[in-house]
This record gives sequence, structure tokens and C-alpha cells, in this order.
Amino acid sequence: MPRQRLSPGWAALNLYGAAFLVFLYAPLALITVYSFNANAINMAVWEGFTLDWYRTLFGMQPAGAAFDAAFTENPDRIFQVLRNSLVVALAASAISTVIGTATALATARYDFIGKRIYQGLLFLPMMMPDIVLGIALLIFFVGVGFKLSLATIIIGHCTFLSSYVYIIVAARLAGMDNTLEIASADLGAGPLTTFRRVTLPLIMPGVIGGFLLAFIISLDDVVITYFIAGVDTQTLPLFILAMMRRGIRPQINALAVLLIAFSFVVASAGLYLRSRKN
Amino acid sequence: MTSQRRRAVVLLLAPITLLLGAFFLIPLGIMVVYSLLEPGLYGGVVWSFYPYSYGRVFGWPLGGGEEFEPLYIQIILNSVYYAVITVIVSLIVCYPVAFWVSRMGPVAKNLVLFAITLPFFANLLVRIYAWLLLLRPTGAINTALMSLGLIDAPLNMIFTEFAVIVGLVYVLIPFMFLPIYASVERLDWSLVQASQDLGATPFQTFRRVILPLTAPGIAGGAVIVFIPALGNFIVPAFLGGSKVQMTGNVIERQFLQSRNWPFGSTLAMIVMASVLVLILLYALWMRRAGKSQPVGEVGHA
Repeated sequence: MPRQRLSPGWAALNLYGAAFLVFLYAPLALITVYSFNANAINMAVWEGFTLDWYRTLFGMQPAGAAFDAAFTENPDRIFQVLRNSLVVALAASAISTVIGTATALATARYDFIGKRIYQGLLFLPMMMPDIVLGIALLIFFVGVGFKLSLATIIIGHCTFLSSYVYIIVAARLAGMDNTLEIASADLGAGPLTTFRRVTLPLIMPGVIGGFLLAFIISLDDVVITYFIAGVDTQTLPLFILAMMRRGIRPQINALAVLLIAFSFVVASAGLYLRSRKN
Repeated sequence: MTSQRRRAVVLLLAPITLLLGAFFLIPLGIMVVYSLLEPGLYGGVVWSFYPYSYGRVFGWPLGGGEEFEPLYIQIILNSVYYAVITVIVSLIVCYPVAFWVSRMGPVAKNLVLFAITLPFFANLLVRIYAWLLLLRPTGAINTALMSLGLIDAPLNMIFTEFAVIVGLVYVLIPFMFLPIYASVERLDWSLVQASQDLGATPFQTFRRVILPLTAPGIAGGAVIVFIPALGNFIVPAFLGGSKVQMTGNVIERQFLQSRNWPFGSTLAMIVMASVLVLILLYALWMRRAGKSQPVGEVGHA
């Protein structure tokens, strides 16, 4: 099929594609611009550049002259939710990476009864609407007497993050031929040695990519965390949720921009590793 | 050797089996049980068989002081309606984009694919919040339109069905794009060429060749957009205000405000059953058509 780039049809398609990218990014760009706008009353009207919303977010004094002190956040609170979120995301993504990778190894390298059932079952936590998983976990934790805490959030996140890691690592294993593993076994290496010296280095980009993507999905999770977080174990997205419920304030823009920037950096690394060929 | 391999499989599968057994299947099972228990006076449950929460939704069976409230069927049907509209809109938006990307050179293609996937990793709340800033009366769109003199008074966009659908489409569109793109990428263009050479009009070529060949992607995208749209409660909570109610909002209230967990579980059961039926139908359709399509490349929203 010859490329017909210069025809009017392709020009229109190029324009349409560009418009689609604008649709995806314009809302995020808007928050970014707003986060530097000194106008706290009507954000849509530019009133000069300020860093005050970032400063007050962390309890620093605003530099601007006219400023309502009521806007200042309690810095202890934000550092605590930040710490909670990082603990949850690190623990949940680390555990899920181990579990997901182990599962991917089993389905890719071994035949066993019920393999198809496992493969189907692994899709379900990702396909289940978040609210269903969230309330099922809430009922379960309350029912068996688990106190809602960071631990319950970590467990909840693992149930669906393991499936993500599984899919990413399984895709990598499927695209990799196993001659090196067979050679290693033929040369007398045990299964553990073969795994450590041959398989793991080969799938490592997929494993780390899966870990990073799981980390970001955990860090950004709202709905499931919303149901299984305890009163004193708020995470960053729940903190933003509470801020949004109190109304639109310029600090939300600043916090949103920081969160987007962080998510994009980590997710980019994850996506790059996931797609990288050896 | 065989026993060694068997031991390896058991070891590798033990963690996921424990995890999904204890913290996925059992909780869902308990939810099923809860939907059939009597709500306690002060928020707990009474351990007796009580199918009447379903009666409250469907009109049967009734008893235990529960009455049929047609409102809930209405809300469930509304949610299905919003989810279907979300699927249709995101399909129409994504389909041409998939062709646009598939005809690019390798470098541009990878960059654009990356650019389309990335917004999925921006926080869900932040993406909804952005639309709050765009759509509200003093928001970016109204301010721009008014300063251009196109309108005199702000358009009423926020807290409407329109706002909810825009929000759902914006949040879920990567799920639609990826499966469609995967099937467009695999499209055999020589078949399109053959159809043109045999004298088919562009519309005939599209309907008889391109559409059937990309159908698995469309179906996959539709399923993984429909499911999270159906159970969504964050988008309607912030962009729909009190005017637009979806099943998710009612479930949330039953758990966190009214504290009627059995009734909340009943509604969640209805959502879960619809989802499972849909997945089953999709799997059967795929198997019958003998097609393979990776679903859930991205997953959750």
C-alpha cells in the first residue's frame, strides 16, 4: 500500500490526530498554567506568575503581598500522606512484582492442569470494577477483624497489581525463546542457577518495567484505597479527594502538577523498559 | 525430574493462589453472602437469610419491610446508558486516530503511542479536576467564549450528563485506543487494495473489509471501556453533582453513609454479574470467531 501522505485525506487525518493529542494534554496543561497564576479568585484570568501555591502547599510563607493565610496547608499533614503513599506503593509494587513474575514463569515455562483457569482468573482483578473490589475488600477486612491500616491498603493493591506485573512479564517471556535456558540446563545448571543466571537477566527489563508501572498505579489509586483506608491512614490521592470536596483552591493545582510530573517520569521509565528489546 | 518440575510449579503458583484466593475470591464470596443478609438497625448485619434487598431493586421477592423502589432500576439503566454512550463516543474518537498512528514511520509511531498511553498514568482525580476547571461557569471554556463575545452568559456545562460523559470518555479513552490500534496495526492492507481493485467503493471497502477485520479490536475496546464506566462513581460525583447519579454513587452511599451494607452489596452484585456476563459473552464470541486479541493491556482506571 503506497503512502499517500500528501492527499487531502491524509492532511485531514493529520489534523485530526493532532486535535486528539490536544484533547489528551490540554486539560493537564491548563492545570499547570493555573498552578502558576497569582489569581486565586478566577483562575481563568491571568494575574501574574507566582510560586505561592507551591510554597503554601508545604507550609512555607507566601511571597505574594495580598494573600489569604487561610489557604496555607498544614505541612505535617501533607508529608504524612506522602509518606503513607510511598510506603504503600513501594510495598505493594514490590510484593506484586515477585508474585506476578513467579506466576508468569509458571504459565510460560511449565504445563500444568488448570493453566487456562489461572490465566483467566488473573484477568479478573483488573477487569472487576474498582468499586466492587473496594467494597468486597472492605466487607472482608471488617468481617475478619483486620483493622483498616496501611497493611490493608497494601494487600488490596496487591490483588490487582500482581495481574499487571504478570501480564507484562508473561508478554516478555512469550517473546523470548528458551534455547539459552535449555543450554544452561544441558550444561548441568540447576533450575535455580538457570533462573538466576539466565532467565532473570533476560526478563529483567520487563520485571523492572512492571514494578515501575505497578508503583505508579498504586500511588495513584483512588477508588479501592478510598474504601479500605483507615481514618489515620490517608494516602495522597485521598488527601486530594478531601481537598476537592472542600472546593476548588489553587493549592490543588500545584499538588496536581507535582503528582502528574512524578507519575509521568516513573511511568515513562516503566513503559520504556517494558517495550525495550534486548 | 518430573517431580522436581511439579514442585517448581507449586512453588511458583503458591503466592498468587493464596493472594487471589484469600483477598479476591473469598471477599467477593463474602459480598455475595452479605447481599443476602438482613441489614442491622445500626449499620451491621443480622445473620439471617434475607433476599429482600434484591426485592427492593427488582420488585421481587418482597418482605422484611422492604418495598420495591423503581428508582434503583432507573439508576442502573442510566448507568448502562452512560457507559454505552461513553463506549460509542470513545470508539468514534479513537478509530481514525488508530489509522493515523498505524501509517506513521517507526520513530513517530513510537512517540505518538507513548504520548497516547501516558495520560493514563496521570492521577484519576487530577484528570477529573481538570475538567472541573474547564467546564464550570467561571471555567476556561466559558471565560474564553465570553471574552470572544460568542456567548453573553456562561453555558451550563458542569453537573450535567454532558459533563459526566466527557469525563468518562477522557478518563477511559486509552483503553479504547490500544485494542483498536492493535487490530488496525495487524490489518492486511493488501486485502484493502484487492477490494479497491475489484471496484468496491471506499464505503464498501470500509464496511466489508476494514470493519470486519478490526472488529476484534472494537469489541475488546468496548468491553474494557464499558466495564469501568459502568461502575464509576468518582466521575459522576465530581462532574455530575447531585443531578447525575450512577450505580457507583448509590453503592458508595450505602457503605459510607446509610450503612446498609447488604443493600450496597446487592447493587455491587448486580454490577459484578453484568460485568461477568459481558466478559463471558466476549470470550465466547472471540472463541467462536477464532480470534485472538490481547485485552487488558492497560487495565484499571
